Amino acid sequence: MFNRGKTSLPYLFLGPSLLVMLVLGLVPTVAAINLALKNRVLRYPDSDYVWLRNLERLMSDRRFLNAIEVSAVWEVVTVLGAVMVGIAIAVYLFENVHGKWRQAMCVLLITPVLLPRVSAAFIWKFMYSPLTGILGWLLGLVGIHDTAFLSDPALALYAVALVDIWQWGLFFAVIVLKLLETLPPEPLEAARLDYARTWQVYAYIALPMLKGPLISLVFIKMVESLRSFDLIYVMTKGGPGVATETLDMYAYAQGIGLSGKVSYASTMAVLMMIATTLIFTLIWKRVSKWED
Amino acid sequence: MNKICLGAACAVLGAALPLVASAQSCNVPVLKVLAQKSLGLTVMEKSLADYQKRSGTRIEISYFGENDRRAKSRLDAATKAGSYQVYYVDEANVAEFASAGWIVPLLKYFPKEADYDDFLPGRRAVASYKDVAYFAPLIGGSDFLFYRRDLLEKAGLPVPRTLDELVADIKKLHSPPSVYGWVARGQRGSGMNVWRWAPFMLAQGGQWTDKNNQPAFNSPAAVKATQLYADLFKYAPPGAATYDWSNALEAFRSGKVAFMIESTPFADWMEDSSKSSVADKVGYARPPAPLPSAAYGHGLAISAVGAKDECTRQAAGKFIAFATGKEQEQARLREKVFSDYNRSSTIQSDYFQKNVKPQILAGLKDTTPVSKLTIWPSPQWPDIGDNLGVALEEVFTGTQKDIPRALDEAAQYAQDAMEHARK
Repeated sequence: MFNRGKTSLPYLFLGPSLLVMLVLGLVPTVAAINLALKNRVLRYPDSDYVWLRNLERLMSDRRFLNAIEVSAVWEVVTVLGAVMVGIAIAVYLFENVHGKWRQAMCVLLITPVLLPRVSAAFIWKFMYSPLTGILGWLLGLVGIHDTAFLSDPALALYAVALVDIWQWGLFFAVIVLKLLETLPPEPLEAARLDYARTWQVYAYIALPMLKGPLISLVFIKMVESLRSFDLIYVMTKGGPGVATETLDMYAYAQGIGLSGKVSYASTMAVLMMIATTLIFTLIWKRVSKWED
Repeated sequence: MNKICLGAACAVLGAALPLVASAQSCNVPVLKVLAQKSLGLTVMEKSLADYQKRSGTRIEISYFGENDRRAKSRLDAATKAGSYQVYYVDEANVAEFASAGWIVPLLKYFPKEADYDDFLPGRRAVASYKDVAYFAPLIGGSDFLFYRRDLLEKAGLPVPRTLDELVADIKKLHSPPSVYGWVARGQRGSGMNVWRWAPFMLAQGGQWTDKNNQPAFNSPAAVKATQLYADLFKYAPPGAATYDWSNALEAFRSGKVAFMIESTPFADWMEDSSKSSVADKVGYARPPAPLPSAAYGHGLAISAVGAKDECTRQAAGKFIAFATGKEQEQARLREKVFSDYNRSSTIQSDYFQKNVKPQILAGLKDTTPVSKLTIWPSPQWPDIGDNLGVALEEVFTGTQKDIPRALDEAAQYAQDAMEHARK
């Protein structure tokens, strides 16, 4: 319709929305960087520029280094856990459940992700309670009494991650199931005629055919897992000790919840922004190359 | 003559105009209150509609949990957002809020007829900073040793009067999973584990600061107290090392715990047979010597940034007087809320003396003489206390085995915070 290069209409249409996006994205980013270079503490009205001193302090801050480790473990466990659980359940349902029962299962599987995160966190926190929770009671029946998962530094992070996987893994199962239903049946039938086992049919044929959508699911979960604050805050508040203290949790504690050191917290936020941008770009490029 | 009359009328009108203007400008349609849920406030809400009708001011109350309430009010005041005209303040952050000018001295706006001096001396002390009253108490108290009378009687044990006796009795009555000897707060927070740990630290001879006003809560006495506090979790229900006060209360109310040191108003919670399985089975005494009884108080204060003009402050003062007034305290008693009392007149009232259970009255008589403020009353306290809380939670949950190192780091953090404040 338009002669490319000879009309400025695309710029006219795109310009205002790009400008709005630029302002919305740029203003908070510049403000955060500016704050990160100061020593602003909420309690005091004045502040000075300290440039990179917050960054220097972060590099020797034991809790910050611990938070990086916890965040990395959380990211790996929840992303891999949700995707693998999703695939496993989807394959099981695709193989064994058909018709209206499959539809009913889909409705059930989608329910956990519809729950607000805070509600899910409270439900599981009560279930985990060693004295009054149902999990403690069930384990007590088989003679296991010390079931304070959320208070055990070695288990707490995984106990919270289980809730995340429960919400997202079951939801992913529905998505993967629907993706499997879109595949042409011929390649799968041909593999079965050649005596391929069930796991081989999926590992070598069905799932590779769904590589693109599955990678998108992984990326969606990676971004979603970065926003784990509400779940962890309700269930453990970062404890026991600092065993579940992720970067956003520690930034909140320093900036608002604990001491009002907003500049210090802002430095963490800026670092997180740079790190996630770099890591995601790197992974994206690697995946694109792999797909090619 | 007519001219004189006209002049006089104008003079009267001129004098009256500012009053009329003032009355008109003092119409405050809405007051927003940032609060923490308490039984007293729940009772108050029942008569809130009447108050709103009388005063012409709608009261909007937003409730938050303790830590969130502190963080939210600090953020609201420090950023000068001023979204709330009334803050819920407590003994732990009154120094911080008052020294930063985030709340205003209360008595200027607190109606005289509401009788601020009727509040108990202990409550007035924790509601003040540098001898100036900043909030009117809603709840407050000190500590009880909560003990299961039935279990002690069955075991033939007297009520422990010393800390050593208490530790020995905890070990004797510990019989999991049916009964655990002890429960206490372990979760991080200046008002959580630090609050409960502080009496232990002071009882072992520790101090918050040395004679040069430098942090000294990493002394050998403090290390010994921390070790004892951590060791007692071996006799507590699973997961108690991360319990907040409500978890501790629920464990005790479920009938699975023999001893607990907690705040006096919670005695009322134990005696509510609809929610407690230990009603009429609990005894209340002063914390075993040399533990002091930790005095505290929570109440309502006027936000300096939320209530900018005199008129709004007066309206806020009137609302605070209503919410903390003698009538409200009597209404609480009528609703069987015997925990949220703060006034001498309430304690002296016949209704209080007749209806509060004798074991609670006896406990109050026992613990009041050893009640004192056990936290560090400093504007930097919330920051210092919360950081110390994380260090203690690490010790209690075993992620930090080196207690002296944990306390040294917390003391160093406190010193840095104080130096920053001095600059």
